[in-house]
Amino acid sequence: MLAIIPVVGPRLYPPRVTAFTRRFWDGLLEGRFTTTRCDDCGKWSFPPKPFCPHCWSRNVAWADLSGRGRLYAATTIHAAPAVFRGDAPYRVGIVDLEEGVRLATRLWGDAAAPLDGAVRLVALRHADGALFAARPEPASPS
Amino acid sequence: MFFNGPSIDKYIRRKDRQARFRGHGHGRGARGGASDMTRTVAIIGAAAVPVGKWQTPAGAEEQVLEHELLAGLVLDAVADAGVDRGDIGSLAFSQCRPYTAQKYFATFMAHYLRLPCSGTVSEILGNGMTAGLAFEQAANDILLGRSKVALALGVNFETATSAAEHMMSSMRAVGDVDFQVPFGITPIAWYAMDAARYIHEFGSSREALASVAVKNRAHAALNPLAQFRKPITLADVLAQPMIVEPLGLFEVPPRSDGAVCLVLAEEDVARGLGRPYVRVRARGFFHEGAHQISEVPNDMIALASAQTAGRAAFAAAGVTPADIDFAELYAPCTIVEVLVSEALGLVPRGAGARAAVEGETSLGGRIPICTSGGLQSRGHPAYVTPFYSFVEAMEQLRGRAGPRQVANAELALTSAELGNYNAALVHVLEAVR
Repeated sequence: MLAIIPVVGPRLYPPRVTAFTRRFWDGLLEGRFTTTRCDDCGKWSFPPKPFCPHCWSRNVAWADLSGRGRLYAATTIHAAPAVFRGDAPYRVGIVDLEEGVRLATRLWGDAAAPLDGAVRLVALRHADGALFAARPEPASPS
Repeated sequence: MFFNGPSIDKYIRRKDRQARFRGHGHGRGARGGASDMTRTVAIIGAAAVPVGKWQTPAGAEEQVLEHELLAGLVLDAVADAGVDRGDIGSLAFSQCRPYTAQKYFATFMAHYLRLPCSGTVSEILGNGMTAGLAFEQAANDILLGRSKVALALGVNFETATSAAEHMMSSMRAVGDVDFQVPFGITPIAWYAMDAARYIHEFGSSREALASVAVKNRAHAALNPLAQFRKPITLADVLAQPMIVEPLGLFEVPPRSDGAVCLVLAEEDVARGLGRPYVRVRARGFFHEGAHQISEVPNDMIALASAQTAGRAAFAAAGVTPADIDFAELYAPCTIVEVLVSEALGLVPRGAGARAAVEGETSLGGRIPICTSGGLQSRGHPAYVTPFYSFVEAMEQLRGRAGPRQVANAELALTSAELGNYNAALVHVLEAVR
């Protein structure tokens, strides 16, 4: 399960929800990061899809991802699109999850993770719905 | 012309190439069979306006309009080619930006020019590859025998819209609207992430990447079509405000307007004109089946599409990267030039930034890259940017590049891309004098 962080205000660019992707966005509100995996070839898809893009099978099932991964690449955006101007500068990155799933997301908080450093996804609970982000994994207690 | 005492080595290399070309002609009988496979495309004329700010604000009392500007270039390019308007069978336009008021621009232009066509009249869209695909549409009509002469042309007006508003649209072009755009990832943010990864993996530095911008500005200083021509130093580049870390203002493309008309013809036509022309030797294309990133982790900075498209183009031309005299690459940011020059085999992997630092990719260096000034300094009117690369290649290969002439330029490489080089289109072009 992902840590859930309440965020004041609505999302600046809300994603559209479909009958199919509703399960992802509803799950995220509860801290679950769920997507589709192919029952035939076993490969993950992200974003979730009603078919497998790898083998075109329609035999897909929902499964949860751990949210643990490593930061593959990152940048700080200073010149922002109009709707995100109030956020600038803000950080985004590409994360490789431990299940072998790559995604892009906002980087959360002030602590910057080094590339290849451990990060963990968090669920952002806005007034109008959920988003996700990644932040450095706290050092595990010894 | 411009053969200022070629060395014996260079002479031998040239003869060797000519010998090899005879056996590996692009579409020249090697595969036999259908007659359309024996045609070869030539670029015989070109005209372009300097890249810069052309668009007037929507409310301006007097406007600069796309079709007026482009029509002037059509007349100039056709005169440069030395063909008659009646020879033209096809018009392949790059699509205009959404800010252009005149819709159905291609058919409007056919009317504005009063130019009946028996090949095709079309308007092409393919993100940053737009003008590359328009070029191919014109070339394909010639290869298919539909037209003897075809124009590849277009105009990109966008500077009257602010960057912050423009990005509201462009971020939707370079990411999944529901699963990436909500994070505010801008087009060049993807390239910035390439830069971070490159520095991390190869021990390169922001300074090394920034040297690409210095080199490109020095080239642009010699190009009347370039948007920014005042020479700059490395200190100037590093002093600019950050745009997407680690890239500052001079390491990313400016906002630009531009317009170009190219005249393509079947090589028989070109030969009959008795002027220098450019032969399209070969092309390669590859789309990796991913948009920016897919969920499958890969080596993002290897630019697999450029590797594959480049290999295809080299194989079809029967040449190797070492045979190329100069390259005009689609590289919006400094890091992209580094990565694509590595992916195409022009410089070794991990050595692209160092090559710029050491002058290898400068005019006079081992493999001059972006002699026009590149997208940072020549400017980046995105939907016509690949046209400008063909213009530069043509000027060089016809020996008309003046103070930025590459000595003995005979073989050129151009590239166009979309996304984060998720697709690449590569052409090998050859001087015929």
